[in-house]
Amino acid sequence: MLRNIFRNWHSCVPGLVVFSLFVTFAPSLMSQTTGTGALTGRVTDASGGVVANAVVTATSLDAGQTQRATTGTDGTYKLELPPGNYRVKFEAAGFKTVEIPSAMVRGTEMAVLDEKLEVGEQSNGKPTPVPPDNLPNAPSSSSTAPSLSDLGISPEQTQGNAREQALLDKRTHMLKIHQRLGLITTIPMIVSVATSLNAGGKSTSTASRDLHTALGGLTGDLYFMTAYYAIRAPRVPGTETRGPIRFHKIMAWIHGPGMIATPILGIMAFDQKNKGEKVHGIAQAHGPVAIVTAGAFGAALLSVSVKF
Amino acid sequence: MNRKILIAFLFVAIPTFGADSQWVLQQSTLTYHVSHPLHQTDGVSHAAKGKGVCHAGQCDFLIAVPVKSFDSGDSNRDLHMLQVTRGAEFPVVTVRTRLPESAAASATINADLEIQFAGQTAQYKQVPFKLETQGGETHITGTIPATLSDFKMDPPSLLTMPVKNEIPVRVDMIWRQQ
Repeated sequence: MLRNIFRNWHSCVPGLVVFSLFVTFAPSLMSQTTGTGALTGRVTDASGGVVANAVVTATSLDAGQTQRATTGTDGTYKLELPPGNYRVKFEAAGFKTVEIPSAMVRGTEMAVLDEKLEVGEQSNGKPTPVPPDNLPNAPSSSSTAPSLSDLGISPEQTQGNAREQALLDKRTHMLKIHQRLGLITTIPMIVSVATSLNAGGKSTSTASRDLHTALGGLTGDLYFMTAYYAIRAPRVPGTETRGPIRFHKIMAWIHGPGMIATPILGIMAFDQKNKGEKVHGIAQAHGPVAIVTAGAFGAALLSVSVKF
Repeated sequence: MNRKILIAFLFVAIPTFGADSQWVLQQSTLTYHVSHPLHQTDGVSHAAKGKGVCHAGQCDFLIAVPVKSFDSGDSNRDLHMLQVTRGAEFPVVTVRTRLPESAAASATINADLEIQFAGQTAQYKQVPFKLETQGGETHITGTIPATLSDFKMDPPSLLTMPVKNEIPVRVDMIWRQQ
């Protein structure tokens, strides 16, 4: 069947390119339509007084990602969240922890969730997240104890940035998927290289070529999904690329074009072989290009996996 | 005569019992160590600031270091570290301890540390440090036996293998008394 599909490779190439572009950009287009919502509110005590420095944690019930914000001096907080359903936890020193099992955030409107905390011990027994310089029972809480301002550290420097944390969370989430997909991609890639020995020689069968082509196609699809999660992972402004990750990125400039050229050359070679011809012309480069591509991919993987 | 003795006594007594003295952190190297089956990684910071204030024989110390200042030699790993430690939300790590003023003369001290990191507070009891005093400067070295679980952090993983829970932090500081 594959033999028939690839018989006229000229007509297949545009389709392959369109499919690759779809695989690469479809998730991106989908994500662009979802938008960003927000959850805001005010945390108060039983008497209606504002509770500053309360930690509000929203955990996505769909993706499992968490975001935190701390209430300001007016007791208000704001979390910018992707639309979805969230479990929201309110924690503050000296108050019972309150957990709201479900709060819906929509992309087009700001969800308001006010909370009233009761005085008491924290219900979960975990250490209380307390902003720096605000611990009543700290070993150095005497009147002479130095403060962060004594060290020349301004309140702005200790201020958390929920937006930057959300960016880092998203980046890590996408790069984890990139890493897993990259690992999975190595399996069909290695098998593709191994089956090439039976696919390109003089006495090869069409079955061997079909198997090699199918594995190559699978490798390509997985590869472009892997690449998507690296390309679309958010950049952190002001970060200079240093260390082994630099080599990892340089290798992408070799295996990236290689993963585009290899299947195109492979289809040409496949077509020539099926016509009973010896592989000739530019199609002869299929094997060497594939080897260089696989080598660069392997080097990229090793550069971030093993310390040299 | 008695008045002269009284004045002389006050000159001797004030520095001994009454006056506050301070310690300032001159230089520091803080190094965290992460173990992974395929990697052994160290992240280093020289950006810590510290101060100690002594009063009535007790010294309160505060050391603060920006989470972002740790450099492991790989920008990608540092960004992952920043994410795992919630360094954007809680940008500064603080260490507080109280020591007797006389500890400066010892060769070793055991300090109770309170560390605020990643929005959590953990206490470490009797952490041993070595002291070497030379020319008004005191060189302190030791290792804080920190773990990821102390700060409610999930161990990050590489190639689906998580790092070890232990992240010991090596401390190398030079303090000067003022």
